[in-house]
Amino acid sequence: MRRPPALPAAPFLVAAAMLLLAPAQAQRAPAPRKAPPRAGGQAAPAPPAAVRPLPPPGVPSPAPLNRSARNANYSIDVRLDPVRHSLSGREVLTWRNVTAAATSELRFHLYYNAWRNTRSSWLREGRLSGRRRGAAAPADWGWSDVTAVRLVGAGGAPPIDLGPGRRFIAPDDGNADDRTLLAVALPRAVQPGETINVEIEWTAQVPRTFARTGRVGDSYFLAQWFPKVAVLQDEGWNAHQFHSGTEFFSDYGVYDVRMTVPRGWVLGATGLPREVRDNADATTTHRYYQEDVHDFAWTASPDYLVREERFEHPGLPPVSMRLLLQPEHAGQADRYFAATRAALRHYGTWFGPYPYGHVTIVDPAWQSGAGGMEYPTLFTGGTRWLAPRAVADPEGVTVHECGHQFWYGLVGNNEFEDAWLDEGLNTFSTGRTMAEAFDPNYAGLRFFGGFVPWVYYHLPVSRATGENGWADYRRGAELDALATPSWRYWPGAGGPLSYSKTALWLHTLERYLGWPTLQRAMATFFDRWRFRHPKPEDFFAVVNEVSGRDMTWFFDEVYRSSNSFDYAVDRLASDPATDQGFFERDGRLEHSDEAGRTDRFRTVVVVRRHGEAIFPVEVAIRFADGHVLREQWDGRDRWKQYVYERGARAVSAEVDPDRVLLLDVNFTNNSRTLEPRTAEAARKWATIWLGSLQDALLTCAFLV
Amino acid sequence: MKTILPSFLDGLGRVGRAPAILAGVLLLTLLVALPPAIVVRGLVADSLGDSLAAGAAADGVSQEWWAEFSSEATGLGVSFSPQIIGFGGVLDNLSRVLDDRGYVAAITVVASGYLLLWTFLLGGILDRYARNRPTRTQAFFSACGVFFFRFLRLGVFAVVAYGVLFGPVHAWLFDLFYPWVTSDWPVERNAFFLRLALYLVFGGLLVAVNVVFDYAKIRAVVEDRRSALGALIAAVRFIRRHPGPVAGLYALNGALFLLILALYGLAAPGARGGWFVWLGFLVTELYLLARLALKLTFYASETSLFQRLLAHAEYTASPPPAWPESPAAEAIAPPSSPSGGGIES
Repeated sequence: MRRPPALPAAPFLVAAAMLLLAPAQAQRAPAPRKAPPRAGGQAAPAPPAAVRPLPPPGVPSPAPLNRSARNANYSIDVRLDPVRHSLSGREVLTWRNVTAAATSELRFHLYYNAWRNTRSSWLREGRLSGRRRGAAAPADWGWSDVTAVRLVGAGGAPPIDLGPGRRFIAPDDGNADDRTLLAVALPRAVQPGETINVEIEWTAQVPRTFARTGRVGDSYFLAQWFPKVAVLQDEGWNAHQFHSGTEFFSDYGVYDVRMTVPRGWVLGATGLPREVRDNADATTTHRYYQEDVHDFAWTASPDYLVREERFEHPGLPPVSMRLLLQPEHAGQADRYFAATRAALRHYGTWFGPYPYGHVTIVDPAWQSGAGGMEYPTLFTGGTRWLAPRAVADPEGVTVHECGHQFWYGLVGNNEFEDAWLDEGLNTFSTGRTMAEAFDPNYAGLRFFGGFVPWVYYHLPVSRATGENGWADYRRGAELDALATPSWRYWPGAGGPLSYSKTALWLHTLERYLGWPTLQRAMATFFDRWRFRHPKPEDFFAVVNEVSGRDMTWFFDEVYRSSNSFDYAVDRLASDPATDQGFFERDGRLEHSDEAGRTDRFRTVVVVRRHGEAIFPVEVAIRFADGHVLREQWDGRDRWKQYVYERGARAVSAEVDPDRVLLLDVNFTNNSRTLEPRTAEAARKWATIWLGSLQDALLTCAFLV
Repeated sequence: MKTILPSFLDGLGRVGRAPAILAGVLLLTLLVALPPAIVVRGLVADSLGDSLAAGAAADGVSQEWWAEFSSEATGLGVSFSPQIIGFGGVLDNLSRVLDDRGYVAAITVVASGYLLLWTFLLGGILDRYARNRPTRTQAFFSACGVFFFRFLRLGVFAVVAYGVLFGPVHAWLFDLFYPWVTSDWPVERNAFFLRLALYLVFGGLLVAVNVVFDYAKIRAVVEDRRSALGALIAAVRFIRRHPGPVAGLYALNGALFLLILALYGLAAPGARGGWFVWLGFLVTELYLLARLALKLTFYASETSLFQRLLAHAEYTASPPPAWPESPAAEAIAPPSSPSGGGIES
């Protein structure tokens, strides 16, 4: 190539000056926002003396990226009563109809009502799966009661009471006893593009945790705690009841939340703190603010230790990390930060930068039930008091939940219907990150009530099958198709399908297309659907577009079907090639009987498709002279035979030798060898088992 | 300590002077475990077939194959799980006892047979240690036969006692009391220490029952008692009169048990193939030998303590063999006494 001509200097000098001035512009603190007007249009009162406006964040907010629709904005005041374990709140929802159709009602999620009584859909479904039970004590139940709903009038008009027009609905299962979805009729339809303000007052009983949110001791983790408007789409309300096996779905907006808790308690929440006010009644009100998120969670406890560090990586915006740590885990802070850094670095490099500039990591209290969960700019990890560093479970949970900031937080899929679109993509991404950042990672088991860990250094956790959850997938491979809306999965199928199966087919895709192609596809999907609500077809379309190949056949198998993959070597034989019978030689028919007298071997390999799902595979045949033949099989027919005549005997045959197809439910039958080491392996493991049994017998002999 | 340490050392000596017993129980343990191990070998071989996965399993651990095996395992195959590797297997077995988790039915059957064999052999073992002299094979097994049914009758009481402990007592402690107390605890460390305390309580009860039945068996043999209930009552009486030495000796033996566990924890073999399999087998058998020697030392030292603390232990010379009189008869009658006549071995 020719050397390009010299470039003029002046434009570069101007650009350099602009670049030097830009950081100074970015670091100027944003002007404080005004509090939203109270009902009746009155301005907010001046703050009392014990108000501590907080300094601007140590890390300047990065340059704004493309924003969300911000069509569901909340201004919330809530008070936690730790004696009654209750919340009392008032919110003003500023909601804009971003669809093409008008609506005459609003729908709200009241998630806490899943734990109101055993008639809720959530608890009924939980009993079907055998995993959920009722509360142990009356005080352990939870609920949410809306006490007032008003349409705030514009220009000082009196508010309109919407209470008479509200009713509970159960569009999914018709359960009239389920109270998790509230429909509120409006006096008139809200037109496309129109904005309304709705004021809601409610009380909630914080449960002893059934799932994700609740309390233990003085530790509170509050998620799905406020009446949350559902998502209106062009086709109508996409509003599901709260199901045992699903998570959540809501629109993006701005959250301005003031939480009142006992003075001295440490509080963490979505967003950044804006103000702290000490009240006369020995409480403190913390104000948090965040733009472009679709949920708001918070936690409060007098016991948290606070640690803060900063994530920095070339090419990625810095992120301040705030860790709320249990005192008994004080020695594990570095593990949380290391895992969060790994997630921000690898996800940011592979898919796109994390834009918020801050993240809160919560180390949940033991038995809180709040561990391992994601919320915008805040997530919960999870570790144990005794947690050997050779077992990277705490790191794995942290990477996964931090990773959800990308898949779920920024790319806001519908978790009711397409849970795999965040859980599966994130499980795949977590496995990749763990292999890069925390290898080796060993399996550990726990004994004596689950308290005492033991590391199995002979069991390294592999990315392909361990991190992706292959064993879990096998158990539920055919329970449902991924295309089934997640809330309709067979109970217990969510883990095997949304998490493991998806991660495995993504990893298969990585091996089939190559990581650079898949990474480009995922980065493109992330970039296009950040702050939006994608559907599965959107992901498939991006993969097809970026790869330049029509992968519909693949998605038909892994997404639209519940069929499983199972390829096997059915037969392998390699015998001296003998010719017997009558053959034409020199124009005459002569009998030949050359059994045993040959220097050539006839090898017969039969590969078979046991499963109903189809995937093109390679077949590798290894010969005694070291030669390896590789055949391509489209995998469609039920079986295929390969016959060779060569000077060397075959040693082994293997279908999919490179393990491209990670969804194969049986890897053992993928190969056969004529020199099996089966007896050696069986002898070894029987010997090990013999020692263990003798120890068990001796332990039992304590009784005599 | 005046009696504890001498009894302990004497017990070690009695075990050492009867190596055939130690070898015998080691062989017994191996032979009882061998048939199920052969079954497991067959299950593993069937599962691996002629696959290349066998090579991976022979050289190390094939986790994919193991997951496939486990998902389809039934019966004895269910017990073939990663816990069996190395010291994790020991922890798993101890945890099963303290957490009352039990075993699969096949192993429970094998263990029951093993306990029955021990019950049979204990008569001869205690007789040998009590006489503290060679008794030869015929006498050994004769003593086994004499005391087997007495120990079976004692075993009825033991089944009831252990049944109560592993049944309602364990359930109350760990399924009712523990969750009730800790239900609202946010600190894991505190719950762990509470559970540890409950393990000590439950373990202490187990030890107490175990000690009573140990001395019941010892008194049955040493004093030729025919009544199981009588031996039990006599054992309680002995312990009540000598709580310090009994507890001290048990604690000393227990400390040796923990030491053996700790040493095995450092040396426990893994899952490597080749000649490491046989090295690992050797290390494991040495560990089992140590545990068996300790179990026998429990009996021998407790027998020595009992004899040391009772009058009829105050003899200084071994009487001539006058089997089948009881050791007490041997100790009371002088060696040259015509009342000591009987069949000479």
